[in-house]
Amino acid sequence: MENILPEPLTKELGDRLRGVVGDSWVIVDADRLLAYESDGLTAYRRTPRAVVLPRTTDEVSRVLSILSQEGVPVVPRGAGTGLSGGALADGDAVVVGTARMTDMLALDPANRLARVQPGMINVDLTKAAEPFGLYYAPDPSSQSACTLGGNIAENSGGPHCLKYGVTSRYVTGLTVVTYDGKIVEMGGFGRESGGYDLLGVFVGSEGCFGIATEIEVRLLPKPEGVRTLLAIFDRLGDAGSAVTEIMAEGLLPAALEIIDGPTIRAVEASVFAAGFPTDAEAALVVEFDGIEAGLEADVERAVARCREAGAREVRTADSEEERLALWQGRKKAFGAMGQIASDLLVQDATVPRSQLTDVLERISEIGVRHDLTIANVFHAGDGNLHPNLLFDRSDPEEVARVERASTEIMAVCVEAGGTITGEHGVGLDKRRYMSLVHGPDELDAMRRIKAVFDPLGRMNPGKVLPDAPDSAGAAT
Amino acid sequence: MNPLAELLSERLSKGQVIDGFDTEAWAVCGRVPQAVVFPESEAQVAEVLSLSSEEGWRCVPGGKGSWLHGGQPPQSVDVLLSAERMDDISEYEPADMFIVAEAGTRLDELERRTSECGQWLALDPPGGERGTLGAMLAVGAAGPLQASFGCPRDQVLGATLVTGDGRVLALGGKVVKNVAGFDLLKLVAGSWGTLGMITSVTMRLHPTPASDRSLLFKGAEAEDGAELACRLAQTPLPLAAVELLVPGEGESGGGAPSPLVAVRILESADAADEAERVLSESAGMAPVQRLEGEQSAAIFDNVRAMEDGAELVLRLSLLPSRLPELVEMTSRLSDLYDPNEGWGMRLAAHAHTGVLRVMIAVVSRPDGWVDRAKTVLGVLRRSLEAEGGSLVVSQGPPEIVSAVSAWGELGPAALLTAGIQAAFDPAGILARGGSPQ
Repeated sequence: MENILPEPLTKELGDRLRGVVGDSWVIVDADRLLAYESDGLTAYRRTPRAVVLPRTTDEVSRVLSILSQEGVPVVPRGAGTGLSGGALADGDAVVVGTARMTDMLALDPANRLARVQPGMINVDLTKAAEPFGLYYAPDPSSQSACTLGGNIAENSGGPHCLKYGVTSRYVTGLTVVTYDGKIVEMGGFGRESGGYDLLGVFVGSEGCFGIATEIEVRLLPKPEGVRTLLAIFDRLGDAGSAVTEIMAEGLLPAALEIIDGPTIRAVEASVFAAGFPTDAEAALVVEFDGIEAGLEADVERAVARCREAGAREVRTADSEEERLALWQGRKKAFGAMGQIASDLLVQDATVPRSQLTDVLERISEIGVRHDLTIANVFHAGDGNLHPNLLFDRSDPEEVARVERASTEIMAVCVEAGGTITGEHGVGLDKRRYMSLVHGPDELDAMRRIKAVFDPLGRMNPGKVLPDAPDSAGAAT
Repeated sequence: MNPLAELLSERLSKGQVIDGFDTEAWAVCGRVPQAVVFPESEAQVAEVLSLSSEEGWRCVPGGKGSWLHGGQPPQSVDVLLSAERMDDISEYEPADMFIVAEAGTRLDELERRTSECGQWLALDPPGGERGTLGAMLAVGAAGPLQASFGCPRDQVLGATLVTGDGRVLALGGKVVKNVAGFDLLKLVAGSWGTLGMITSVTMRLHPTPASDRSLLFKGAEAEDGAELACRLAQTPLPLAAVELLVPGEGESGGGAPSPLVAVRILESADAADEAERVLSESAGMAPVQRLEGEQSAAIFDNVRAMEDGAELVLRLSLLPSRLPELVEMTSRLSDLYDPNEGWGMRLAAHAHTGVLRVMIAVVSRPDGWVDRAKTVLGVLRRSLEAEGGSLVVSQGPPEIVSAVSAWGELGPAALLTAGIQAAFDPAGILARGGSPQ
């Protein structure tokens, strides 16, 4: 995509913003703006007009008041690890980043609550909670880099949300600043508010409704015990059957993750080699957690189901070190693929679990038809797929094939009763697929709710919703 | 038939509309509707709502009528729409652990179908199992299991909503992880029918637990019970529910009612044994009773039925660690009832979320009773709100609920709430004039 350089800020506007956040925290130099030209989905690049980095709720409110008075669109940004182009600043938009808002505001172990600023890194919250025997459950793969504010925007998942649920289960209160600079409190633990679940609709709104400047989340007690097993299969379908059988047993693992043959080979060819047999077609990671006393029995039942489904090898871990080794192939899969291909498009979709095997077969056919390597890493327990399309960005013809294959994959997932994104969000990239899952009335209803929070349409414009039918071709 | 019912029966069929005396059983917080309609499809719901929007008739959606006495009393009700005749289970995929059912499906019917496949809907809202799925979602009702499974908002995957102006919206989907667009479903959960009528619901299911064990611990007085409940809820165990139960004065066989703390464990038998050991140690005593399987479920079914027959139900909240203070505050309600009438005042608290339900069997009605209730509840609400908590009048005599309002003030969120209501119901026929709007 072409990257058109925007108009710089006027000196007067720059001065007003500097007056709020300090001279160092309004970035306008072209060199420094480069760092903000894309998020984790590097196929899209746009340079913002400026980046403003406030420190407090009050500063965010004053910055947004100034920008809204001037009619300047705003794009919120956390760590920029998103995978749907949601943090890209189009046209004359200014990025408001949370990089300086990293404070722990309150930690309340007795009530298992934390109140944090949105720029805090996901894993830092768990680190802070650990001395109290607590942790923050949602664990997106990027948890060592992504921010909690970003997690709120995307309603992030992670491998362990099979048992524990996604971000929206854990956010109990928010302080939000809307585009006009108003500060609104939503929710709050220990309180039953009247009115609608504003908090619930804000989570996952991808920066289109406002900026969360304070976040209250529930923490969980660390499970007493954790057991992990890894099963290797010669056929992907067998791994899928094992998953079905484990769930049919009535077991609820903390995680059920599969990496397929192409991914195994990518991992083994990389510095992250985890000792998987390279002729295998699937590796299944199963994890249980909870009270120590009940875990061994669960593991035995899961091992038995894996063997019945045709696992050629089942490994269990006896130490924390071994446990992490079993996870290595899954956790480093994206990094490994990055080493064998110059570019990687990480797709994201969810299908009902029973459809997994069929859908994976169809995705594999799509790969063959378009002459693309597609490697699958997925949260099998909840049907959340991540087909990874390997390509070379400098080859326009290959880029076009990746586009076509992506569209077909989305259609297959929707047809199977699933959806176009399970955890990465719609952002810029998936607006065009929205009409696959939503009719005109549903899209219209979403537009109306967006307009309640942001009547002028200047909060993260051009994201999530496709253009309204009556404004076809207006914004792209 | 009255003219309104006449017009409605032209659109539906005669048997689907009732008016006159028959509608009294469908009063909403004491307001008797002019007509009750029983649509059989979402198209019929859309027909009734769009006609009502044109005519400016005020509507309230309902299920079988279990929840109509709750929430903010509407100023008036012209049409009540019952989902009673929409009770098909349309899709059930045990392997995918979801179920799609029409809004009028009873919770006990859902329970029966899912238990055949070793699954359950892990929610235990007050009112027992006679309520409908749609009503449960509409009022966001949840019981003790919210400690571990959350509320309907956390377990609903999709729903069909017919908006106030008759648009049919398919919200959400059938999968747990779904971030395709704004999550409008969250707005619908707990909206009390003010955004539209829910006609179909898709819920996530869970595997039936391998074992079900409840442990009952006894406290000396209500406050001790609250402290004990806090302590047990703070053990680092995966407990399904920790509930403080204080029976009413009239059901304690004389003397001060003695509180029970009921702990529910839905883990394997081995894990439950270990949990029992840790809990007993933390309580400094053994449980007075251990209930397994159906008996364990039954004690929590009783908790669901605790609001039955209550004239006034309040929900008081503070942070969970402050449950003892919250329980102590209930002494301020002594002016509102006579402990010798009916069973007096019962308490039930969710120790993990800090929600205390107060149930009063009979509200005393001396001269000026409404003003007195208004003062007592108003003062209590303000002191709870000052501490970050809340007071909700979940159900009660309409005079009281109208006077104190079901929910507290919304503050700066009021504008957003009003905007959302108008986006779904432009003619305002579903608005109740409180919050939710």
